[in-house]
Amino acid sequence: MQNSSPLLRLTDLKVHFPLPGRLLSRDTGGVVKAVDGVSFEVNAGETLGIVGESGCGKSTTGLAVLRMVDVTGGQIEFAGADITHANRQQMRPIRRGMQMIFQDPYGALDPRMRVRNIVAEPLLAHGIVSRGEELRKQVAGLLDMVGLLPSMAERYPHEFSGGQRQRIGIARALALNPSLIVCDEPVSALDVSIQAQIINLLQDLQKSLNLTYLFIAHDLAVVRHISDRILVMYLGKIVEIANREDLYERPMHPYTKALLSAIPVPSPDVEANRDHELLEGEVPSPINPPSGCPFHPRCPSAMPDCATRAPALTEHNGHSVACHLYD
Amino acid sequence: MTPLLEVRNLQTHSNTGNGVVKAVDGVSFDVREGETVAIVGESGSGKSVTAMSVLRLIPNPPGQIVGGEVLFDGEDLLHVQESEMRDIRGNRIAMIFQEPMTSLNPVLTIGRQVGEPIEIHQSLDRKGILEHCIELLRKVRIPDPEKRLHAYPHQFSGGMRQRAMIAMGLACEPRLIIADEPTTALDVTVQAQILELLKEVTRQSTSSLILITHDLGVVARYADRVNVMYAGRIVEHGPAREIYNSPKHPYTIGLMQSIPRLDDNAGSRLVPIGGQPPDMSNPPSGCPFHPRCPNVTDRCREKLPPLSKVNDGHWKACWVDVDAKQ
Repeated sequence: MQNSSPLLRLTDLKVHFPLPGRLLSRDTGGVVKAVDGVSFEVNAGETLGIVGESGCGKSTTGLAVLRMVDVTGGQIEFAGADITHANRQQMRPIRRGMQMIFQDPYGALDPRMRVRNIVAEPLLAHGIVSRGEELRKQVAGLLDMVGLLPSMAERYPHEFSGGQRQRIGIARALALNPSLIVCDEPVSALDVSIQAQIINLLQDLQKSLNLTYLFIAHDLAVVRHISDRILVMYLGKIVEIANREDLYERPMHPYTKALLSAIPVPSPDVEANRDHELLEGEVPSPINPPSGCPFHPRCPSAMPDCATRAPALTEHNGHSVACHLYD
Repeated sequence: MTPLLEVRNLQTHSNTGNGVVKAVDGVSFDVREGETVAIVGESGSGKSVTAMSVLRLIPNPPGQIVGGEVLFDGEDLLHVQESEMRDIRGNRIAMIFQEPMTSLNPVLTIGRQVGEPIEIHQSLDRKGILEHCIELLRKVRIPDPEKRLHAYPHQFSGGMRQRAMIAMGLACEPRLIIADEPTTALDVTVQAQILELLKEVTRQSTSSLILITHDLGVVARYADRVNVMYAGRIVEHGPAREIYNSPKHPYTIGLMQSIPRLDDNAGSRLVPIGGQPPDMSNPPSGCPFHPRCPNVTDRCREKLPPLSKVNDGHWKACWVDVDAKQ
């Protein structure tokens, strides 16, 4: 099903969270601009990776797509329909097409529910099948799809390891046969030897079910492995979007370059000949972000202009970057 | 030259509701003066328990060090008085923990906490302690140390807290620093800063470093020698280059193949290690890795392989010659 219009389109998305004001004061406390003017498209069948450090807004962007946080401004279009202001009732059928896989396989599953009921819950909630043989068959099929045995359906989450729990979470996400899955750090809580199993599973499922992934993670090596295109965020804004090759082979934004340089490669021989360009300082508080380009206080290439004027995202041969170096 | 630290056949068990868990089951390794030794492994492999055992910080009950020796400067730490142990902790051996958020006391100022080891182990007056603290904070590059001394942990960012932890660790110029996942809770760019700092300060003071981590990239960059742990045992150890360039234990080989790397062929398929990590309250018979091992033989199911020599300094605990298999 190749469609010319993208499956998901965000236009100037803004998610601002109000800060608690002081009691008996007119001070409203201001806002945190968690996501501040983000625009991108995701085509059917592709994986868009979103990377960035804590507080960059990558998870909030994922939640906004599913309308699980209130959107302050901008537009979200899913499968051609504007869902920015869809109410709860209108969202119900839309959510069947978009599901989420969470980071923490321990917290995301109800410890008092059997796996059978966890996986069946979305099917029952959306009235797709009723209890009985058909439901049992569907649950068994879903478990099989993620590499679990149908006999495991009667167990409780605590009887499973982290990797197996993540498989249960994936089975639940697949139950409604969605087209888009938002994966928020799906492997970062897992052991190294288990990460690869889940990554391979996600890739296999994508191929067989023609899934579209919004893959949110902080591990640049994992994101490189699974994504077709990658978007780098910093303090609520996109600093760079490019396809995988371009981003990793020819990063343009100084922040992307620093991120890539900061990650050690698991080879002593490579590391011995590699210089790590260290960034100064840490990500500033999103409550009070720097003026101009949010990255300028840490940027090794900062110019006077960067402190006063925010750079717009501009395209250079399909590779978009928000940096005054490329004006 | 005798090593600074020699751990021999360390056994630390834990009494749980499900019976005895052998969290550390006969671990031996050494650390020489000035070198960085990594202990890598996944959660539950016993790497942190090993580190805690060296400092005798195992809460008893449920844990108990049931056997082995921990020779530090020739003295067996498992047999010294608790009072003498207190004299060693934070003074001659320092520990840097993973969570700078929970490892610092929220109601004491940074200065008070960084100064505590100095106060306990060195006879300095208030002014001397204060000056030493400022110097330490400067060393770990906390800006404006005179003022930041009076700040509380919540006023520090994650990276700054970990810097304060390192300052505390360095306070008494320890001969050995044990860093347990020192950067796991930090952002990528901050992780790089902290690791470079740790390398620089240990080099300056010629102290030795035990780096406990699950990150094979970090190990490749910083470690001289590597111990790979699985199910409470060291399954392979050797110089970092050897371990990465010609690993001999199927678990080490599996780990290397299962991680995506920034310099690999993007989009190629990962080769995962099959199965699940062992349930330590009911470990497999024989070699604990045998249920997940691609080279498993009958012998592996029955008998635990001892560490055998691959070449000078490189050892593996495996019955099978993986090179002959390929």
